[in-house]
Amino acid sequence: MSTMTADHPDDRSLLAAEYVLRLLQPSEERAFEQRLLTERPLLAEVAEWTTRLSGLDDEVAGASPRRRVKTALEARLFGAKKSTSIASRIWLWQGLSAASIAMVGLLAFEVVKTPQASLTDVQRGPLYVSEVAATDLSLRLLAVYDAGARELSITRTAGSAADGRALELWAIAEGSAPVSLGVLPDAPKAGITVPEDMHAQITGLTLAISDEPMGGSTTGAPTGAVLATGQVTDL
Amino acid sequence: MSATSKFDVSDGWGAATRRFPRKAKPEAGTAPVTAKGVEEMIARISLADRQAFSRLYDCTSSKLLGVCLRVLKNRAAAEDALQETYMKVWRYAGNYQSGGISPMTWLITIARNTSIDKLRATRDTDDLADVEGTLAAPGLTPEQAVIADGEAKRIAVCLGQLDDPRDKAVRGAYLEGRSYAELAETLDVPLNTVRTWLRRSLISLKECMTK
Repeated sequence: MSTMTADHPDDRSLLAAEYVLRLLQPSEERAFEQRLLTERPLLAEVAEWTTRLSGLDDEVAGASPRRRVKTALEARLFGAKKSTSIASRIWLWQGLSAASIAMVGLLAFEVVKTPQASLTDVQRGPLYVSEVAATDLSLRLLAVYDAGARELSITRTAGSAADGRALELWAIAEGSAPVSLGVLPDAPKAGITVPEDMHAQITGLTLAISDEPMGGSTTGAPTGAVLATGQVTDL
Repeated sequence: MSATSKFDVSDGWGAATRRFPRKAKPEAGTAPVTAKGVEEMIARISLADRQAFSRLYDCTSSKLLGVCLRVLKNRAAAEDALQETYMKVWRYAGNYQSGGISPMTWLITIARNTSIDKLRATRDTDDLADVEGTLAAPGLTPEQAVIADGEAKRIAVCLGQLDDPRDKAVRGAYLEGRSYAELAETLDVPLNTVRTWLRRSLISLKECMTK
């Protein structure tokens, strides 16, 4: 690409074509993708070339995958045939988190830096973090678990309960029913105590937020829609 | 609605070890489907609709496996790439927006890129995820994405008007994911020659197709 000036429309078009054809070097691809984030015309060129070349797809003969491929795929995505809707949302969360893990780390650092009485007189243990987020990010909560203090520090960065409703936080250990961690306070930051028997399995714990009546679910199980989920991981 | 229905507690959380019951279903990849139909399924998948995901797989997996096979030439590797492709579809369905590229082209692009990455194994999957997100995310308007499907179909005719080795270069790059270096080796010409050929071909192609 060094021989091409990026600004000429023809060169831009050719560069986009080479990108679509995967003819750029990895470093060139990365640089190009950086430009794609901000340059509309370049993105339009990519879409055009993608469609232009897609006529060649007709030349590709189909081939039925073996049945076990679908079985394995669904097992990887959903775990079990009749598992829950929340488990599928965890995947979406993982998609988000892959892209925003650096952001999570940064936010977590902010939370940890914030002086909190509970952390000052207890020796700090390993930290675990979870971003509990709705797929559209309309509700987003960062949870940091301090194994030394045995407390979950939460920071809500987006969203709130609907009028006359409450947001309830749940912890779900693998293979177990959700356990309520309480109704989220209106304040964006709060410390939440985690039940004793969950300390050992904090990694892999799923956190979820559901929509509940004021005061929280009265049945001991979530009754409303699951608005956001996230999985706890080591920081 | 019962308290447990949302969470389906009775079934257990993340029971990843459970096996699926086998059940008879139509042969995958045979169901005919329109672009509109594919678009609707993608929209449903973005809302975590598993049935839509299953239907999309049944309608499109045969074509996508064909795409993976052209690049990887190996059934097991192609089926792996196919799985990865659908995992990305499940994750990034929300990023697909109509107006930019057709839904089938979006799926094929993911399959092709996943296969090429597997072939080259030079990029990690996080990078790749960004690519798929980028391609569809910013929502091109119909005016910006002006290539009609009918126009795209002309590519075979336009490629036919190129001199033979140049035609091969474009097909080799697109269908088999060949790099410039590999194309140079296959066509037995210097790398710079291949690059020059290919760029000229692309310019001719664009001119021919927009006529």
